[in-house]
Amino acid sequence: MEGTNCEYEAFESFRRSGAKPEYVHIKQLEDRRKKLTDFDIIFFPGGFSAGDYVRAGAIFAARVKAASGRDISEFNDSHRPIIGVCNGFQVMVELGLLPGESRLEKRVTLTFNSSGRFECRKVFVRIATRNRMIGSAYVGRNAWEIPVAHSEGRIVLDYPESTFNYLSDGGNILFQYVDPEGNPAGYPWNPNGSYGNIAALSNSYGNSIGLMPHPERIYYAYQAAEKLEPAAGKQFFDAIVAYSKSL
Amino acid sequence: MPGRKRKAAQIVKLIGLDDSRLPAISKRMKLGLSADEMIMLKNYFLSLGRDPRDIEVHAMAQAWSEHCCYKSSKFYLKKYLSGLRQEYVILAMEDDAGVVEFDSDHVYVLKMESHNHPSAIEPYGGAATGVGGIIRDVLCMGAQPVALLDSLFFGDLKSGHGEGQLDQRFVFNRAVAGIRDYGNRMGIPTVAGSLAFDRSYSGNPLINAGCIGVARRKDIVRSRVTQSGDLLVVAGGKTGRDGIHGVNFASRSVSGKREDDIGSVQLGNPVTEEALTHAVLEAMEAGILDGMKDLGGGGLSSAVGELCYAGGLSAVVFLDRVPLKEEDMQPWEIWVSESQERMLMAISEKNLPLLDAILETWGLDHAVIARVKEGSNLVIEFHGETVLDLDLAFMTSGPIYCRNYTLPEKKEFTRTQPKEPADLNSLALEMLADFNICSREPVTRTYDFTVRGSTIVGPLTGSIDAETHSDAAVVKPLEDSFRGLVLTSDSRPIMVAGDPYRGTLNTLSEAYRNILVTGGFPHSVVDSMNFGNPEDPGQLGKFVESLRAIRDFCQKFSLPVVSGNVSLYNQNRDQNIKPTPVIFMTGIIDDVRKAIPSYFTGEGNSIYLIGNEDGDLSGSCLLHHLGYENTSAPFVDLDELSSLRKSMDALISNDVILAAHDISDGGLFVALAEMAFGRSIGASVDISETNGGRPINKLFAESGNRVLIEVAPEKEKLLSSLVTATIKKIGTTLGDRIVIENVNMNLIDVKVEDAKRAWSEGLSKMI
Repeated sequence: MEGTNCEYEAFESFRRSGAKPEYVHIKQLEDRRKKLTDFDIIFFPGGFSAGDYVRAGAIFAARVKAASGRDISEFNDSHRPIIGVCNGFQVMVELGLLPGESRLEKRVTLTFNSSGRFECRKVFVRIATRNRMIGSAYVGRNAWEIPVAHSEGRIVLDYPESTFNYLSDGGNILFQYVDPEGNPAGYPWNPNGSYGNIAALSNSYGNSIGLMPHPERIYYAYQAAEKLEPAAGKQFFDAIVAYSKSL
Repeated sequence: MPGRKRKAAQIVKLIGLDDSRLPAISKRMKLGLSADEMIMLKNYFLSLGRDPRDIEVHAMAQAWSEHCCYKSSKFYLKKYLSGLRQEYVILAMEDDAGVVEFDSDHVYVLKMESHNHPSAIEPYGGAATGVGGIIRDVLCMGAQPVALLDSLFFGDLKSGHGEGQLDQRFVFNRAVAGIRDYGNRMGIPTVAGSLAFDRSYSGNPLINAGCIGVARRKDIVRSRVTQSGDLLVVAGGKTGRDGIHGVNFASRSVSGKREDDIGSVQLGNPVTEEALTHAVLEAMEAGILDGMKDLGGGGLSSAVGELCYAGGLSAVVFLDRVPLKEEDMQPWEIWVSESQERMLMAISEKNLPLLDAILETWGLDHAVIARVKEGSNLVIEFHGETVLDLDLAFMTSGPIYCRNYTLPEKKEFTRTQPKEPADLNSLALEMLADFNICSREPVTRTYDFTVRGSTIVGPLTGSIDAETHSDAAVVKPLEDSFRGLVLTSDSRPIMVAGDPYRGTLNTLSEAYRNILVTGGFPHSVVDSMNFGNPEDPGQLGKFVESLRAIRDFCQKFSLPVVSGNVSLYNQNRDQNIKPTPVIFMTGIIDDVRKAIPSYFTGEGNSIYLIGNEDGDLSGSCLLHHLGYENTSAPFVDLDELSSLRKSMDALISNDVILAAHDISDGGLFVALAEMAFGRSIGASVDISETNGGRPINKLFAESGNRVLIEVAPEKEKLLSSLVTATIKKIGTTLGDRIVIENVNMNLIDVKVEDAKRAWSEGLSKMI
């Protein structure tokens, strides 16, 4: 929809990993010209949907819910991948897809960065759980370089410790921000002040994922500062596409 | 004016009026026309045998404004820049943006514009809509915008504000926020630019925004309509009362009374523009656009007029069909409004349903507002009544002035020599924290420079925990090619103020070197000229001298000037700004993976200085920092720069260079420090063999065409055969300190960490 703007690099990333991506505009869902259940993967790109002048992602989520709420539930129930990055992550939280359990609803929120400003920087993440889609894509390195660019990416929990433990035990914490050696660290390694350095969440089954960092911006090593092959983005999209094909 | 609905045009009585009363009419109607121009207008209507309607007078005032017709600058632009063409240029200074060959199938499209006057009174809106406008200039050529640049100039942040001015810190913060919010919401990375502070910009900040896009060569859409019978569709934002008389305002000095001018400031909505971008590119992809023009300065008046006039046609406009924000707008207000996010598209009638469908998907307001026709007169109808009927050629061409100018007096280029300070270490740290030198991170970090995934080198570069400034940004615009754009935007206002000809050459040399040290070859130039009052012969003389420098430089290096912008009347009260030509230079790199870092890559490598130094401190940040008024600028040896170019080409093709950085603001010392910051690697340097006289000259002079390179020891033997320019080894990369010796005396010894802190903290307290 208007204001969504990371779709080009996401489209190319899927294409490079062997999928046949297609742009779907919210209006096409509303007009019933396209149907989400006809697809194998849903990807909510980043950006500033509707300008983010209200709560980030709220308007996008409301429109998606109205147009395709039932299709999304069906999609999720069939364990097909649903991915949201940055603003797309915020949309997925608004839609209740993440963390994905009714008893966790409204206990996880994305809000303004601790620094109080928009920040564009490269950070490191490490995988924090076993995920059936990601598999072993992120073994072999303690820290994976990945870009972030947002002003509302701080994850806050209602009861920080207990909710964090609950999420952690449930395998909902997918990536955490770390320093270059792979250790948990504060700002700027954790760019937004997220509780427990949470960078990405998944639902318990593992097919719905929301990330603040942008894997679609770092598919190739030459897009990275550290120039290491393979880059985090390729690992991500290859894994999602491979999982989707295995269904 | 509530209650006055559907108000048709009023007659403005000119005929029979004494010429002496005409200026009062210009003033009352905020036309910005001079006494002579009002007489021309009166005579024109005398020849038609009738008085004009208000909309006709406003239309003429728009078309004849400095902003739209370049009446003071056109003569000189043509004289100096029209001959600078290269065969790979497709469109230079014809349409809304320049179009240059990128590879056999693709072109890049680029432009830079200033948005100075609106930013003076409303910095957030002014800067934001400056970004919006420049994106539309590139978009309307049918190109996908891929990167933004901005060169910004503000008053002294520490000085607070003068009477009737906004606080300088406020202006700075709000302008940066405006660029951030618009660029980030558009999803186009802001990758490069420059930032400078000087007292002369208090009350008249300069906001220069540049944009570059790519398109398939065959998809370029011209800013003209050549099919009689085509429909003109206006799409995007609605038309309102914001930005009325923007061009007239931009064509005079900021008055100091903000409330008088606030109505001239446009309001921006990036989300509408983001949708508009998608819609325009889809329509371009469908091949249904016969011509397109963005609605910027002068609104519909200049867009419709210029689109038709360029194609040798005219049009009948149905002005009541324009979608409005406020229903009671008068015809002239609709016609000259500069409301943002609007695009004018020419299409044939049979393609209208497809265009409608695209615009509706994106939720954009749109309407057919005119039909293109043969003939010389533009006609506007408003609810069936003809309110404007004017010869398009007369209206659009505008007067051209060849105003008198005086050249700066021939002078001896004097050198100012400040006293050598007792403690060079402290001076070095002070210089790193100087506003004109220190880290731009507090600004650039808030711009999304990685969106689209095509930024290979952004404004910040180096190890993730130790970033430094890059020399130029590198963008890879095409999925299936490693060819990249190398982008830089530079200015040296202190030098230009000292001597406009030499200062402009220094600016060009810096831009040129920024591209070379990044591994690219310079390819095209866009000039964004910000000067004072052209009615002052001395100010106009500076403008002319600056143009002469651009011509001489571009002729020497076979560079085309492909688009540009002139902003005059930049003054606050009687004080003119420092003359500020901004050079947006684009280079090409064959393979983005070979971009050269601006920072030391490892320990134990050799540091070489290429180029001659003469120690001239004129126009340097050091003198500015110490409070000297600059009256001179260093000589630029273009033959030497040519030799540097050949040397760099040879070094790059032989893979000799590990890192490279040009020497500019802050001189040799700052260049070394910035190279050290990118990976926290120190250097041990001995400058005994360099020329330049006293230590502060050697350390801080910014003269010459110099670059620093880092070379691995095993490659050093290749240097003598590859480099034709002067080259000297000055040190080794080593440890965690920057140590500089001169004739067995230690001048500087600082930890990289401490230097980095001083550099990083310079601006951080100001934003």
